[in-house]
Amino acid sequence: MSSLKSHFTLILALISILFSIFLFKTFSQILYKYKQNIIDNYSIVIVSTKQLSPNDVDNLGTLKQININNELKKLKQKYPNIDFSNITLPYFYKLKLNTLPSPKELENIKNELLNKPFIKKVMTKSSAQTKIYNLLMLLEIITKTFMYLIGILGFLLILKQLEVWKLLHNERMYIMELFGAPFWFRGAALFKIAFIDSLISLIITFILIIFVTNLTIFQKVINDLGINYQIDYLKDFGLLFVISFIISFISSILVVIGKK
Amino acid sequence: MGKLVVANNLTLTYENNPVIKSSNFTINSGDFVFLTGISGSGKTTIIKSLYGELKPHSGNLRIGEFNLFNISKSKLSTLRKHLGIVFQDFKLIPEWNILKNVMLPLLIAGVNKNEAEQRAMEYLSRVKLSHKADKFPAELSGGEQQRAAIARATIHNPVMILADEPISGLDEYSASLVMDLFIKANQKGITIVIASHSIPTEFSINFRQLHIEKGKIYELA
Repeated sequence: MSSLKSHFTLILALISILFSIFLFKTFSQILYKYKQNIIDNYSIVIVSTKQLSPNDVDNLGTLKQININNELKKLKQKYPNIDFSNITLPYFYKLKLNTLPSPKELENIKNELLNKPFIKKVMTKSSAQTKIYNLLMLLEIITKTFMYLIGILGFLLILKQLEVWKLLHNERMYIMELFGAPFWFRGAALFKIAFIDSLISLIITFILIIFVTNLTIFQKVINDLGINYQIDYLKDFGLLFVISFIISFISSILVVIGKK
Repeated sequence: MGKLVVANNLTLTYENNPVIKSSNFTINSGDFVFLTGISGSGKTTIIKSLYGELKPHSGNLRIGEFNLFNISKSKLSTLRKHLGIVFQDFKLIPEWNILKNVMLPLLIAGVNKNEAEQRAMEYLSRVKLSHKADKFPAELSGGEQQRAAIARATIHNPVMILADEPISGLDEYSASLVMDLFIKANQKGITIVIASHSIPTEFSINFRQLHIEKGKIYELA
């Protein structure tokens, strides 16, 4: 019974750590994609007296000139008495930023651009952008805090498990050492337990991951965010497999090394 | 007979207090040695220093080619593979059955499992415990556990067996059985060092007695 309990502690710790790593990774990727999505659909409009090159806007992003011919045609039709050929029109550009700026950063960018003598006007969608940005940041902070808490909880459980392992295996390892057993021999039983426990944790975590990611609500959120996000189960399994084995083997090695 | 253990000006301390002070002694290959003295005289301290559990404070202590003063962990492991150790509290692995406990030195030496099992059964029958091979230490009497411990200490043909109070706490019959096993091992050429507060009255073979008194070691005739 106590043996089962000791397995349960490590398995629970590993599941919480693995699952929090998966959620952390997934949320980070979703947030990144969502940010990219906003960036793709978001740009600053610049009105300039000269043709601009990326250097003129300090390489803040991609510059694309706005074709105003259609608008000009409409104006000519609307105001046939005006001779537009005598009017020097400014150049209009869309600046697509490389990263999603915070409202403060956006304000700074705007001021910097306006300080340039050839830039006459800068238009941003500041209010909508601020809301989205703040929401994203809040979501990121909440998810990260949650993941860290789960991670810390898992780490504490592992520390407790190390104490249990010390109590359970110290005597046997000491006796083995008295007969000249090498490190790997003394730790063999622990390494075996670590291997089995990490395998069980990995399987349970993956069942949990498949269940959560196939929930209708999860799919709906992804769809509503309007991003194309596919979970690479094989890659995630590989990553969690490596992490799970590293954690459990380091734990067991610490017990063998720390034997009193 | 070659010198197996050589101690020169050996000082051993326990919790910073000198227990053995600048003592000299030698043990030859094939010797049967009783290490005697009153309780707390330092018998266990010497045994511990001989299997490297306690580092000499000063002086020299050699077992064969191994200098125990500054022995590395890997060399200590090698040395221990050539020793058999018997403890007063047996130190059998509680979660292993007797057969597996006896197999331990062979498994450490890399002998394959089937062969180790076969040899362990043979040694268990020598100590009259083959019928209890699948029992766990807690299911055996003190005398039986000590016999199993001796089977474990001899199975790998060690150069020397170190025994710390091996018959203390055993009934007369068990104690005599255990001593017989030491004698048989010695007759095969294994050096035996037994720490004991007294020597069994009817002891049939030649032996040496190293007596510890006030931190010094004397050889008694």
